[in-house]
Amino acid sequence: MSVRRKPPHTMRFVDVTLRDAHQCLWSTRMTTAMMAPILGTLDRVGYDVINVLGGAVFDVCVRYLHENPWRRVQFLCGRLATPVDALTRGQSLYTFELFPDDIVALNARVLAGLGVKILTVYDALNDNRNIESSVRAGKAAGMKVNGWMTYTLSPVHTDEYYAERARELLALGVDYMCIKDPTGLLTPERGDTLFPAVVAAARGVPLQLHSHCQSGLAPEVHSVAMRAGFEYAYTALEPLGNGASLPTTQEIRRRALALGRKCRLDEPAMREASGYFNWLCAREDKPRGEVARYDPALYEHQIPGGMISNLRYQLQVMKLEHRLPEIMEEAARVRRDLGYPIVVSPFAQYIITQAVLNVVQGERYKTIPDEVRKYAGGYYGRLAAAPSAEFLERADIRPEERVTERPGEHIEPWIPRLRTKLGAHASDEGVLLAAFYDDALIAALRDPVPECRTRTTPLYELVHWLAERRDIGQARIRFAGTELSFAA
Amino acid sequence: MKARSGSPKRKRAARTRVAAGRAPTYEDLVQIVELVRSASQFSEFRLRSGDIEVEMRRTNGAAEPTPLPAAFPHAGEPVGGEVTLEPERAALHVPHAHADAENLPPGLALVRAPMVGTFYRAPEPGAPPFVEPGTRVEPDMIVGIIEVMKLMNSIPAGCAGVVTNVLVGNAEPVEYAQPLLAIDPRA
Repeated sequence: MSVRRKPPHTMRFVDVTLRDAHQCLWSTRMTTAMMAPILGTLDRVGYDVINVLGGAVFDVCVRYLHENPWRRVQFLCGRLATPVDALTRGQSLYTFELFPDDIVALNARVLAGLGVKILTVYDALNDNRNIESSVRAGKAAGMKVNGWMTYTLSPVHTDEYYAERARELLALGVDYMCIKDPTGLLTPERGDTLFPAVVAAARGVPLQLHSHCQSGLAPEVHSVAMRAGFEYAYTALEPLGNGASLPTTQEIRRRALALGRKCRLDEPAMREASGYFNWLCAREDKPRGEVARYDPALYEHQIPGGMISNLRYQLQVMKLEHRLPEIMEEAARVRRDLGYPIVVSPFAQYIITQAVLNVVQGERYKTIPDEVRKYAGGYYGRLAAAPSAEFLERADIRPEERVTERPGEHIEPWIPRLRTKLGAHASDEGVLLAAFYDDALIAALRDPVPECRTRTTPLYELVHWLAERRDIGQARIRFAGTELSFAA
Repeated sequence: MKARSGSPKRKRAARTRVAAGRAPTYEDLVQIVELVRSASQFSEFRLRSGDIEVEMRRTNGAAEPTPLPAAFPHAGEPVGGEVTLEPERAALHVPHAHADAENLPPGLALVRAPMVGTFYRAPEPGAPPFVEPGTRVEPDMIVGIIEVMKLMNSIPAGCAGVVTNVLVGNAEPVEYAQPLLAIDPRA
């Protein structure tokens, strides 16, 4: 591996419009049929990579859209000429539980077989032992592997902490590395020290930035990353950037050009694709991303906004709403006691639930949820810092509850059991679905990709939309040199 | 340009003429659709503004209600990849087990719910319950689980003795401090 001295000349882009953008703005409800007509245009935009799969997309496909996620991945890989990326949560794949190595390996083979070119993996504890099996299996299946490290704010998550994670990823042999900022906590000032530290540790492995826009600072943070030598930006097309989503491709492109980087993005294709997604927002009554105002409160508790509104609702039901401020303060102490877990699923929930228990019971750690005990014992992986003495004393974790080896080590293989249950004809995809979901959910999946158009025009969309309106008997529409009239 | 066959529910006469000039864009489309939607309460509608002209007449004169926006996800469905906190229905129910607990003979120890939540008698669906009346327990022995905001809390007996009553059914919602089981510590 050569060590790169000069910053890369070309800025490269990873699209998240088909994955994280609608996950953040539309509760992950973009269907394959909504994506299909614009794929040709997306190819023309000139992205280096298009990310189409992640834990929430997989889960929402199965639970709410009743789409078989494997068919979606296969369809998108088949239609897109741009390399397709799939994201997993390492040993937890698309869920928050741990799977054995054989399931992790089978998942990598299935994704590669469907046409995925890049496997991206991360662990919510930043315990890179939890992505070892994915990296190995992804490479064995012929994919490039991209390792993420998750950014958070705490006294132990120092620049050196992330440089150490980068060295681990380097040792694992990843093809790319990425700093992922799930709640938009990165600031330009922190980037000034963090990014050069990670670039140095990466020793020439291309670096990527994946930063959400909750604080409104992400675009400026991208400029800092580019100056430090980052080569890839994760972006979404207007109007599906900003807000809880990622920065827009258009804005990061302008910033890259201003910094003297070359971009291979095609403006007319971007305009057309953005126009289509803007129309989808209107047609489907879905929100567009709005630029978030900077809010210092985000940095105090780090609890995602959606989770606070949910907590408020639950406290209302329990007639405890007036104790929310107390619970938020306690949540900050609980996070410290638990060794500063990153405030993302599922750990955000551990913190909140434990804080509610502590406040409502009037005694700290009188009740400790089983999952919190398992987390503290190392069952899910290594903690960023040791739990506090007060917590450890109350939890009284017994030696047999402590796990020091790689979490995947203590899970027996599942495939033999699943093959026995499903029979000899079960496909690899079927084995995996059975590992993740119960039979009723799997039975409800519509297996072929739902019928969808693979190209469209504004005029077609208009005619189709009017045709679907049962209440209009007669219409005449004239615009921009087009005249359209119809009668029922 | 023809609509996909089968999609319009009624047979319609449609006529489209594309004149020389700029091709319609998605921006035009969004504008027109917003106009049509905003006029949904009128039986007849005519508008000319800039290079857009819209004329419409509704069936039967009375407009049908416009389709409702696609249902917004309920709280409890995953949002943004986060595990969301399921609202507890517990507090809405008045549990009947309180009364049973009051009629117990004196001298029994009560195991109480640490929080509003859902009580489970077994470690997983289909498994035998942790304890039944008559089971001898030690203080550390798990006698049930309370699910609080989707996390599982193992409930220890808290004292040695014999379970005399199970006061809450499996998967029933429980209130804070509600008695779950009675244990006779003298037995």
